Amino acid sequence: MSKTTGPTGPTGPTGPTGLNGPGGTPSRGAPSRSMSRRSFLKGLIASGALATLPCGLLLPRKASAAPFNKADFQIFRNACPRNCYDTCSMVTYVRDGVVRFVEGAPESTFTAGGLCVKGYAYPRRVYSPDRIKYPMVQDGRGSGNWRRVSWDEAMERIARKLLEIKEKDGNLLGLALTKYSGNFGITNYGVEGMMSSLGYTTRLVGTPCWPAGIDAQNYDMGDMWCNDPEDMEKSRYVIIWGANPAWCSVHSMKYVYAARDRGAKIVVIDPVLTQTSAKGDVAWQPETGSDGALALGMARHVLDLGLVDRDFVANNAVGFEEFAAYLRQNVTVEWAAEKSGIPADEIRRVAEEFATAKPATIWIGYGMQRHVNGGAAVRAIDALVAMTGNVGKVGGGARYGHLQTWGFNYHAMIQKAPAGSIGFTGKAGPKGEFDVTAGAAAAAAYTDRSLNINKTAQELLDAQNPPVRVLWSSCKNPFAQDFDRNKLEKAFDKLEMVVSVEQFFTETVRHSDIVLPVTTLFEEWTVNASYWHYWVSLNEQAIAPMHEAKSNIEIAALLSRHMNRLSPGSCTYPQDIDTKEWMEKEFNKGVYDLLGISHWQDLRKGPAKARMPSSASWSDRTFKTPSGKYEFRSDLCASHGHKALPEYKEGRKAYAPYRLLTPHSKFAIHSQFANLDWMEEFQTEPFVYLNPALARAKGIADLDTVRVFNPTGEVKLRAKITNTVPGDCLLMYEAWFRKLDFNVQNLVDDESADMGAYKTGAPGVAIHDQFADVAIA
Amino acid sequence: MTTQQTSLPRQRAFLVDVERCIGCFTCAMACKNYYHQETGVVWRQLYPLDEAIYPHRERAFFSLACNHCENPACLNACPVKAYEKREDGVVVHHQDRCIGCGNCIRSCPYGAPRYNPVLKKAEKCSLCHERLDAGEQPACVQSCPVRALRLVDIAALSTADAANAVQYPAGYPEMPQVNPSTRFIMPRTPRVVRR
Amino acid sequence: MQNIELPLVLFTVLSQAAVGMALLLAVRSCGCAGGACAATPTTAGTAGTGGNAPGSRTEWLTATIVMGVALLASLFHLGHPEGAVRTLAHLEKAWLSREILAFGAFAALLAVAAVTGKAGAALRGAAALVGLAALYTSGMTYAPPAMPALHNAAPLGFFLLSALLLGASFGSWFAGEGSQPMLRAVLLGSLAAALAVYVIVPCVWASGGTVMQMTARAWLASPLYWARLVLGIVVPLVVMIRSPRIPRWMGPLVLLGELAGRAVFFGATVHAAMNLGIPY
Repeated sequence: MSKTTGPTGPTGPTGPTGLNGPGGTPSRGAPSRSMSRRSFLKGLIASGALATLPCGLLLPRKASAAPFNKADFQIFRNACPRNCYDTCSMVTYVRDGVVRFVEGAPESTFTAGGLCVKGYAYPRRVYSPDRIKYPMVQDGRGSGNWRRVSWDEAMERIARKLLEIKEKDGNLLGLALTKYSGNFGITNYGVEGMMSSLGYTTRLVGTPCWPAGIDAQNYDMGDMWCNDPEDMEKSRYVIIWGANPAWCSVHSMKYVYAARDRGAKIVVIDPVLTQTSAKGDVAWQPETGSDGALALGMARHVLDLGLVDRDFVANNAVGFEEFAAYLRQNVTVEWAAEKSGIPADEIRRVAEEFATAKPATIWIGYGMQRHVNGGAAVRAIDALVAMTGNVGKVGGGARYGHLQTWGFNYHAMIQKAPAGSIGFTGKAGPKGEFDVTAGAAAAAAYTDRSLNINKTAQELLDAQNPPVRVLWSSCKNPFAQDFDRNKLEKAFDKLEMVVSVEQFFTETVRHSDIVLPVTTLFEEWTVNASYWHYWVSLNEQAIAPMHEAKSNIEIAALLSRHMNRLSPGSCTYPQDIDTKEWMEKEFNKGVYDLLGISHWQDLRKGPAKARMPSSASWSDRTFKTPSGKYEFRSDLCASHGHKALPEYKEGRKAYAPYRLLTPHSKFAIHSQFANLDWMEEFQTEPFVYLNPALARAKGIADLDTVRVFNPTGEVKLRAKITNTVPGDCLLMYEAWFRKLDFNVQNLVDDESADMGAYKTGAPGVAIHDQFADVAIA
Repeated sequence: MTTQQTSLPRQRAFLVDVERCIGCFTCAMACKNYYHQETGVVWRQLYPLDEAIYPHRERAFFSLACNHCENPACLNACPVKAYEKREDGVVVHHQDRCIGCGNCIRSCPYGAPRYNPVLKKAEKCSLCHERLDAGEQPACVQSCPVRALRLVDIAALSTADAANAVQYPAGYPEMPQVNPSTRFIMPRTPRVVRR
Repeated sequence: MQNIELPLVLFTVLSQAAVGMALLLAVRSCGCAGGACAATPTTAGTAGTGGNAPGSRTEWLTATIVMGVALLASLFHLGHPEGAVRTLAHLEKAWLSREILAFGAFAALLAVAAVTGKAGAALRGAAALVGLAALYTSGMTYAPPAMPALHNAAPLGFFLLSALLLGASFGSWFAGEGSQPMLRAVLLGSLAAALAVYVIVPCVWASGGTVMQMTARAWLASPLYWARLVLGIVVPLVVMIRSPRIPRWMGPLVLLGELAGRAVFFGATVHAAMNLGIPY
């Protein structure tokens, strides 16, 4: 423990009495802030001084607390930097240098004053007794023999190792970075910058999240660009397809409800009867991975009914007639019904309703594209939305995501390699969907070496000349997010040094040699954008960093100092930086103009929303495809080895009796939040959810402990029996529990999705094309 | 104060719109965020509806805190007068007076008062009355992303709320003698099409 | 099973023992007034006060100590025992306040009798009546609306039975021979009644609402319930049917049974809040 006072005990900022609450509830807690005489008297009453009199007879029979007063707090702007649709704009209330509580920013019509179950747990996250407090070295990876070291000692160790491998290999390709979505604050791209500033290194590129859909939308429209989610309320028909906003985008639900309140029908398509399904008018539970067939069957029916938007397909699209011919020759509604299990009449009814409601929209979830045919399925759904004339319409659209508000300078990210650096000479693609340097890299003599992040274990095992010797992990928890955990353990065994930048002792930290404590959102400056809504939020430093935590860019600066001390010129990263200055450097006129602000300081008054020509994407129907039109037939797609048309693609063949689904929990975002004791109040353990028929067949009773297993590995947990899960499915939610060794990646292999390499550097991963068996433990 | 006295709410209450509620636990954590209760102590909790009431497991919930009853069992049972019912109907627990006898905890049919093992006293939802007095919403109500949890005056419900809201839905103990003020709107089920 | 609330178990059982003793003392003295016990000195070696009147000083002292231990135990139930005196603050509404007042008064009467060593008819009568009143307040205090199985006259009935069982068993230690048949009759009757009550009541619950049914299941699933039924009721009943007088070990045995039964009462009775979201 170090300097900062306050939240030392398990009870958080208010100390053992806890219940003082931020505003001071009426009857407890000594008043600790400046007060008028009146409030002092009230405080005296409240503090119980008078209550010590016998029977409290002198107490006025009135509960008049000193009312909550915002003026008692310092108020800061923050933004939730997690990998989430909602990217909430936050307001943080600080008193005596301690975060007392957080709220949603009322200025954002999207966040609208409230956060979610995870966001409200932040005051615990920052003060959690489980936080990593200072740099530590583990003597023997996995031994648990951690000892505290100084920042200088930690960085010198790392710097010496980097110089050693550079000396040995003649380059720094033995240093690999794994980083993804643990913290999306823009300045955190300084981690990539740190790598660049050291020379050419190895990068684990791509994304496990949404790449197949990104490529699909790029083939169809030339970019991934969704309507403003706030215009969903203007939809007359909403299909939520493979997304569960009731858990994963709670702030979007109000627009779904608003649409329904205005008469729209809500159809939810998901193999599981999700919480969102339960809130729909119609819930379809098709065969997992049959989405493409379902969309094509609907398209065929729309075609048969003559409900195609002829103007759009003739003037704003290419290849529609070929697509129509494909549908007539290869697709029938009955075929779609057989593939999906949804009755043909039902498909016809919803297809017709969708095609006749104007505008109508489909929200394409990320879950439905985590399949070997996921990209093809997204293209089929895009086609359904386009042929009904709903692309480019307010309240319409094939909604997937966007990066329109991410036009920052990436000052922290764009760093020069030291003079004379040697790198990789092979072909280099983008290093992920956020890689703004993708174009520039092609011109350089050397590049970084790219490894597929979705096959991290295999790629680390296979990499040669040089092998990966040092792995730097930041904004990422490989053991929670990378696939085939058993293989990953073997891959880590090969590494000579693993450095984790973390806040908690995760499974990845357990497999590391050095852990560096990193700041939370309250402890650094940055700026945050969303890939779903159009608000941009400032993230102010609200408190001094707890313990010895440093931000990612401060860590980079410190590493640079040590590198240059040991070997001058070996790192170009500035050695002294201020997170606020670096946040400022991310802004440019383009961002200001888009947000309608003149200076970043304007964001201190609240988040700002991008001023788009329309809430609809593609409202001018000018597409970024080679043809400039919507491409039902994409030759680019064909040139990448896929079909030119959005044809049906078969799913993965089952390799075990039951399909295994491992989607997101409402209590966690990946491996974050479920570990907090506050969250444990509401969720204490994972469960596998089984259909009653399956449970009966296997002799499993509710809450029995079971074994779920497949060739990749095994997980033990308790079962809950529910009709929300189909009879051939095993469902469990990914999460990291601090006291359990539960990890869904014991069961998920690294099979690739069909698309993703074009825009993100590596194909996606078929997370939901997994199979397993179950038995009583 | 004087000018507003006539318009003071007579019985403030939570309206739990189970139809809109998405079971996201945001309200429960918003309370924790604001009051930092001890580990194991929650003032607001979500209770999934049994499948006999709603046919899909863990897809419909009662978000419950204190019901701020008309005739509170806690207040009636408390031997040290730690409880008070305000003019606006809010039932306040004055923790400084509490001696931790647990009688309110045994008495409340809805489990609102909880035992704080550190302070060795009871505590419960205060309806954030210090926030109400400052013109703010209770922390939980403010947090709800779908307006499924609202603050109402049951003496002056809107016509729509009066028509839809029920006092004793299935799964909620019927206790006319305490007359809980919370009102509920019950959920619909979707038309499920499964293979 | 929740917390068995040991301090409350001790408080209620012991206070009821004291009430039972005082009550049967009064009854015995009525009997003596009728001349039934005048002749026979006690064979038990209890501080032989000669048996001129029922209610030896030792007996009063014993009851006082039992009641004192009960009150002391109740303090351990409080998070803040130093505030115990303030429990009298809510006499107008809270049964717990009234219970503390009643038992306070009862304890005071016992103490007076113990200190003076001579309890006249008025004091005996007062102690019995105040004890009964205290018993009634207990019956109300532990019948909260939150526990549908107990939100009725059941606790009062249970407590009355406890008072009679314990009062008769322990009273026999002190009573003269003349009173023994009466005490035996009381014990036998109470045991028979207790057997009926503790078998029938869970069955009644089992046919009630959900929470009552849950309570019935929880009681019947509790080993303590069966231990109490067998050791605390059935065995004593069998013994008492055969035995012409109450054996000295009957008191401790019945006490153990009552403690076990009370642990079930506090630990296994289902609170309505445990059923939220489930049909009520």
